[in-house]
Amino acid sequence: MVAPAPIVEMKNIGKRFGGIHAVENVSVELRPGEVVGVLGHNGAGKSCLMKILSGAMSRTDGTIMVNGEEVALANPIEARHCGIETIYQSLALADHLDAPANLFLGRELKTRFGTLDDKRMEMEARQALRQLNPNFKNITDTVLNMSGGQRQVIAIARAIYFNARVVIMDEPTAALGPSETAMVAELIEKLREQGIGIFLISHDLNDVFDLCDRVMVMKNGQNVGTHAIDEVTKDDLLNLIILGKLPDNWSPRNLVAS
Amino acid sequence: MSGERISTCSDAEVKGRFARLWSHMNGDERKDVVQKFAAVFSLMALIVVFSVTSDAFFSVGNAMTVSLQTTSIALLGIGVTVVILTGGIDLSVGSVLALSGTVAGLLVKDGWPIWAAMSMGVLTGMVCGCINGFVVTRLRLAPFIATLGMMLIARGLALQLTGAAPVSQLGEAFGVLGNGSLFRTLSVGANGLPKVIFPGIPYPVLIMIVMAIIVAFILRRLAIGRHIYAVGSNEQASRLAGVNVNSTKMFAYATSGFLAGICGIVLMSRLVTAQPNEGIMYELDAIAAAVIGGTSLMGGVGTISGTMIGAFVISILRNGLNMNGVSSFIQQIIIGCVIIGAVYIDHLRNRR
Ligand SMILES: Nc1ncnc2c1ncn2[C@@H]1O[C@H](COP(=O)(O)OP(=O)(O)OP(=O)(O)O)[C@@H](O)[C@H]1O
Ligand SMILES: [Mg+2]
Repeated sequence: MVAPAPIVEMKNIGKRFGGIHAVENVSVELRPGEVVGVLGHNGAGKSCLMKILSGAMSRTDGTIMVNGEEVALANPIEARHCGIETIYQSLALADHLDAPANLFLGRELKTRFGTLDDKRMEMEARQALRQLNPNFKNITDTVLNMSGGQRQVIAIARAIYFNARVVIMDEPTAALGPSETAMVAELIEKLREQGIGIFLISHDLNDVFDLCDRVMVMKNGQNVGTHAIDEVTKDDLLNLIILGKLPDNWSPRNLVAS
Repeated sequence: MSGERISTCSDAEVKGRFARLWSHMNGDERKDVVQKFAAVFSLMALIVVFSVTSDAFFSVGNAMTVSLQTTSIALLGIGVTVVILTGGIDLSVGSVLALSGTVAGLLVKDGWPIWAAMSMGVLTGMVCGCINGFVVTRLRLAPFIATLGMMLIARGLALQLTGAAPVSQLGEAFGVLGNGSLFRTLSVGANGLPKVIFPGIPYPVLIMIVMAIIVAFILRRLAIGRHIYAVGSNEQASRLAGVNVNSTKMFAYATSGFLAGICGIVLMSRLVTAQPNEGIMYELDAIAAAVIGGTSLMGGVGTISGTMIGAFVISILRNGLNMNGVSSFIQQIIIGCVIIGAVYIDHLRNRR
């Protein structure tokens, strides 16, 4: 099988805050339709790395290529132009706006007079949201009144509507109940089917094994190992997360089994 | 509650239309309508009470007085509302209006044409607003501090420029904006003296209405307005969504400064004197108007129509209490209670 060319290649990325290295010399790539898990302790630098990719944080070192071209990603708008969309657990939405306003925030549809085209935004939003979740009804409520799952659907609909090639999810299920978590997992499958590449930050190893094709483990800002999911066990990952290395006698799980 | 009130309405046509509208609304819109009705209802109640307790209250002349008093609170309140919607605050408007008015007055003294001097006054207000915006967005100071600083700077500047003395003898033309009115109709009575048939719409009231409509339009129909609500709801999310948070805030503070400038020239024109001491504590009335009208100091929630109602509530309360001979000390106590009460009711309604 020939692997498709990567959509995103991050090379030797570094980020310093004064003296501390939040991210140090991290390289990772992402291919279309691939889910890459980003694991690590609290403060390992996962969010920083992903914020750099989403244009929300500047980097001190390294290069980023999107579709083989080097990009600056100086701000979120530029990242969006490159097809990179980010879904945050808690930061994503403006609470006092409704679903369509949030979906189109920063990219509002306008009438030919330059005013907001709320009718069209509502129509398009309804379609986009129903596609993901047929039970989505009260779309013109403020999102303050919506469940965590509904909010996640809005964020994901935003990525799909604007033709994202890369979706970054920072702990998308951290505050969700079991059924809503299952729904997000389904949505991730849908994104993958459309050939979208996904970076998934998660602390839940079960989710990681269910959803990811590959995992990258970070410790103290460094990449301590990138592995295909079928060559590692949970214990292997825990070793990487906690100790920053695999056991001395480690060999890939799938090879051991066969 | 509003459902019952509507059903007492005799016109079945209106009733049907309202019922249809109502059924199309979602929870938030309904809450908004109920809130507006409650506010308008308390306004009516105030008017009724004061009409009963004071003979002079319910008259054309007093209606004029009240609307004129409302204009300054409303003009400042609209600007302050825009800033509060972004999650900020503007304490400088009372001083900025004084600076704007005195700049206009001094320029007229200097021989500038009235229109040019007044434009410079408004521009001065806008520049003050832009400086507020700059300090908040670029120097990253808390809006409270930034605008508190501007409050002192603008007042000090106005006093310094005028030597703390009112600038008078500005000529009759300077007073037209504040004292004239549109469609004022007079007829010459039998005794040869002019008699007022229709008092007209005072220019200040006209300006207030036009500004309210423009700002409401910006907030509801333009992207910048949507961004103002978004920034006040969740600044971080807005930034990540690609909203230019700094220019949105800049716009809000500039608007507030601009409206304070307008308010300044209107007020000084009404006095036909540039008063460097004018507008002290007006910022608090403006903030109170916004808050009584349902604007949340946390940002992201509020409307211009609400602030207009709030401005009327304050000025009617003041005026009515005056007419009833209530001392200004007691007035302060009452208005203080009204502010706390209004916000508490709002708080109860939003609690879940
Ligand atoms: N704006 C900032 N200024 C200074 N230090 C920062 C900043 N943002 C992050 N850091 C530091 O960078 C390191 C990595 O943080 P990061 O948020 O990327 O961790 P994380 O892996 O996402 O952790 P978690 O699992 O808790 O979300 C931490 O030590 C954090 O304190
Ligand atoms: Mg994190």
